[in-house]
Amino acid sequence: MSSAAGPDPSEAPEERRFLRSLQPQLPDMGRAELSSNATTSLAWGRQSWLEQIWNTLAVCQSTAEAAALERELLEDYRFGRQQLVELCGHASAVAVTKAFPLPALSRKQRTVLVVCGPEQNGAVGLVCARHLRVFEYEPTIFYPMRSLDLLHRDLTTQCEKMDIPFLSYLPTEVQLINEAYGLVVDAVLGPGVEPGKVGGPCTRALATLKLLSIPLVSLDIPSGWDAETGSDAEDGLRPDVLVSLAAPKRCAGRFSGRHHFVAGRFVPDDVRRKFALRLPGYTGTDCVAAL
Amino acid sequence: MSGVRTLLGLGLLVAGSRLLRIKSETIACRSGPTWWRPQRLNSGGRWDSEVMASTAVKYLSQEEAQAVDQELFNEYQFSVDQLMELAGLSCATAIAKAYPPTSMSRSPPTVLVICGPGNNGGDGLVCARHLKLFGYEPTIYYPKRPNKPLFTALVTQCQKMDIPFLGEMPSEPTMIDELYELVVDAIFGFSFKGDVREPFHSILSVLKGLTVPIASIDIPSGAGTQKVGQGRLGPYPPDSCPHQV
Repeated sequence: MSSAAGPDPSEAPEERRFLRSLQPQLPDMGRAELSSNATTSLAWGRQSWLEQIWNTLAVCQSTAEAAALERELLEDYRFGRQQLVELCGHASAVAVTKAFPLPALSRKQRTVLVVCGPEQNGAVGLVCARHLRVFEYEPTIFYPMRSLDLLHRDLTTQCEKMDIPFLSYLPTEVQLINEAYGLVVDAVLGPGVEPGKVGGPCTRALATLKLLSIPLVSLDIPSGWDAETGSDAEDGLRPDVLVSLAAPKRCAGRFSGRHHFVAGRFVPDDVRRKFALRLPGYTGTDCVAAL
Repeated sequence: MSGVRTLLGLGLLVAGSRLLRIKSETIACRSGPTWWRPQRLNSGGRWDSEVMASTAVKYLSQEEAQAVDQELFNEYQFSVDQLMELAGLSCATAIAKAYPPTSMSRSPPTVLVICGPGNNGGDGLVCARHLKLFGYEPTIYYPKRPNKPLFTALVTQCQKMDIPFLGEMPSEPTMIDELYELVVDAIFGFSFKGDVREPFHSILSVLKGLTVPIASIDIPSGAGTQKVGQGRLGPYPPDSCPHQV
């Protein structure tokens, strides 16, 4: 499943066209990845410059492709949305345990603030919080814009019944968050959701999270980033950990944090081939793989 | 049902009934240093890992298991889809731990999953799908299929992933022994009562003669939950029983 020695141009003509269309911008992408914390698995420097770009594009999905993949799973494979959200949320929680293993954490460091938006990314966050609870972390949820749909309502009930507190407001003073929690999970915006659509409390929360000094884990994409270009990477959220759901999105190429995981092991082989996904090899029964 | 299996498969301990009795309070915002940690009625009682470690695993009676299920569906608003997915995934994980692909002769290892007419069968369908993703080669025998969207969808997911469905059950144990390295029994669960009807009676007879290992989901099919504690394991002794360790 992991990419072989190098790109096979005959396999993915779409990526080659995209590569050519991006030609003038590629030098910018090359500079963006370097930071003192970067340990990206794309191994900049060990491969040729062109191969690095190729591998980034070959594994990352555009927003349209991600939507098409989801449609295929829901319509052709008859997966239920609830099934996939549950698998993604569970796998996200497992990714958190890999990045921040419980035995190494103090009591305070086990406290996790999960910030959930009103759409599917938020639903995944609710599931993630519940599984973190099961895994003996201490999640707290901030979910200010509650969706009325049944899936969100049921997921909220499950968290409430498991004694996971829901905050009524999030302080704008980031130091209060730094002191209260060991890490924050950003489940506010997924790919394809307009930042302006989510409402004041979420927007204000994201502004506060930009100043965070404790670790930040973003689910699928860093909220507020443009899912295609990652064009807000410079002044947007800068997560330490990115957990790409099912497959990485295009903007993941601009991610420069400590860990990048793919989580959610449910993509059938045929779908993977159809969308020319190059996913990392999952080992054993793992539902999370490090890129 | 799926709910109980999910709980056990995820390592939760039901014994203390702590999960069932916890009621969440309305969370009010407070200013000051404790704004993030509102007071709760059971102030001592969150998931204290020392408590969990000291409590032994409890084996549930049929009534208890059904009561847990009811609580999960009615109070916690879990859906059958959700819990069945977690249960099937947990089972596949457990089976893969007990019989890792590297320990099997064939590559990929061949597994026969026999699915019954109820939720245990649904768990088996989910399990088969995850076994496929884990690198096994499952085949399913699913003779009695409920006409409900949940089950038809699970069948479609398996079919689209090229998991074959047998038209008939091999009639001799040796035929199964030759083709498959492991059999997953997802025929009956803990809510099973009464006599075993056909075709499952014949199926269970065939399974009795197997030499390859059998992994039973939740309980060995046909065994009354009450009787297991008294030493009877049902019509055949399974080699492994995810969730009953």
